[in-house]
Amino acid sequence: MAATETFDFERDYAELVRELRAVPAAAPERLRARVRDLGEPQTRRSLRLHWPRRSVLLLAPVCALSLVLAVAIVAGVVSSSRHSSPERAAVAPAHAQAATGGTSSANKPATLTPFAPSATPDRATPVPPPNANRLQNYQASLVLRVHGPDELGRRTASAMQIARSLGGYVASVDQTSSSGSPGRADLVLRVPVAEVQSALIRLSALGTVLDQHVSIRDLDALVSAQRRRILQLRVEIARITTALQQSMPIADRLRLEFQLDAARRDLRAATGANASTLRKAALSRIELTLTTQRAAVVTPTRGRVGRAVHGAIRFLAAAGAIALAALIVISPLLVLATIWVLGSRAWRRREERRLLAAS
Amino acid sequence: MSTFTTTAPSVPASRPTFASVAERELDAVHRYLLFLTGNRAIAEDLTGDTFEKAFRSWRRFDPRRGTARTWLCTIARSVALDHFRAEDRRRRREERFAQETRDVDESVWGDTLAAALDSLSPAEREVVALRVLLELDGPTTARVLGISRTACSTRLSRALKRLEERMGDGRD
Repeated sequence: MAATETFDFERDYAELVRELRAVPAAAPERLRARVRDLGEPQTRRSLRLHWPRRSVLLLAPVCALSLVLAVAIVAGVVSSSRHSSPERAAVAPAHAQAATGGTSSANKPATLTPFAPSATPDRATPVPPPNANRLQNYQASLVLRVHGPDELGRRTASAMQIARSLGGYVASVDQTSSSGSPGRADLVLRVPVAEVQSALIRLSALGTVLDQHVSIRDLDALVSAQRRRILQLRVEIARITTALQQSMPIADRLRLEFQLDAARRDLRAATGANASTLRKAALSRIELTLTTQRAAVVTPTRGRVGRAVHGAIRFLAAAGAIALAALIVISPLLVLATIWVLGSRAWRRREERRLLAAS
Repeated sequence: MSTFTTTAPSVPASRPTFASVAERELDAVHRYLLFLTGNRAIAEDLTGDTFEKAFRSWRRFDPRRGTARTWLCTIARSVALDHFRAEDRRRRREERFAQETRDVDESVWGDTLAAALDSLSPAEREVVALRVLLELDGPTTARVLGISRTACSTRLSRALKRLEERMGDGRD
């Protein structure tokens, strides 16, 4: 007897049960013959695997998840190997250029940005030194982060002190610090080219280096051209002066005097330009920015395994997004299908009850 | 109803032949359908249909999930319900069903028992057949009928009580 039954019908209705079981209800011979004629079903060998439905329901999601994970891992590995080579190829020449100084070509500026792509910009890397045998326009810009407005003021003063101690001067200072916004000081320092490397190292120590830019422009060719021009003008002036000492018509004398004035003006301009170029070659220009603003988070460079994991996660995220979108799209259909299945089942049960209730 | 399960732990896992199962269970299925329909001719037809259907779907029978008797009863019930549905449609169409087929074959049972069984609904006769005659256990019967165990037990209790009352009245 089942545990849910509260009565034992074999005992409670013993006589009735005996009577019911005594009813002759054996199948007639023609029915027996009909069934016997069916014989034995052909056992077809099928390649199809017959899984229990419950097992399939449990296994299907697990298999699908495993498949997605496997594809994600493969995608991550493939993407990591694809991305690694070009990055290295792009970085290598820049470092090679920085190492050589890159200043041998005539007037072509050599722009070096050794800090920009760095993953950890808080430590200064060596800057290319000036070439002592050539005239160069050396410019550098440096962005440093300092902690708080008080330190900003102190570091600004220190930077000015460094410039002066190296024989340079402060071309301009612009310091801003107001409550609620990050403080900032912009300085333009002129430091003898011979001391620029030392200056940059000492300035870098004033805070956390966020960005550094060095630009070196060769001035040798320009200075040579200027000197040639000055020499030509001097020769011209000497020639005109000699000519004027001789007797000549008044018109010619006037023309020569005009030429002499023009040549003297050009000589003054050329001499001034040359002096300016030499000043540029003598003093480097350093633009220093001190800020209290935090640096943007720099994504650390990943190794191949890290890139593979990152790629796999990105793939999974994309797959999840697609699955979610698909779910959103088909969810109304799923709801309708569920309602239809449940409704049809309820209707079938009701129909069965109705059919079996008729006496 | 194409699926069923059972909780019987001692179900033989070896697969018998269809012929042996048919030979062994034919009387039980016939008796069940006879009680369900109350008509010998219909029961005979439905029994034949049941075994033909079982023959076609024999490949799906899994002894690990239930006995052959339970499986056959499930098929028999489905066949019987199809028959009832068809008859219902026909009755609605012709409005003559009651006069033609609404009769319990009184020759099957004695007069008293026939009258008593006639007072039961097919659903009640069905549960009596499965539990008393075919001796299926409560949970299996409930699964075959697609109802809860409690409902199955209640239905059986009510049917037997009414049957006994009617038979007592008949004897008096």
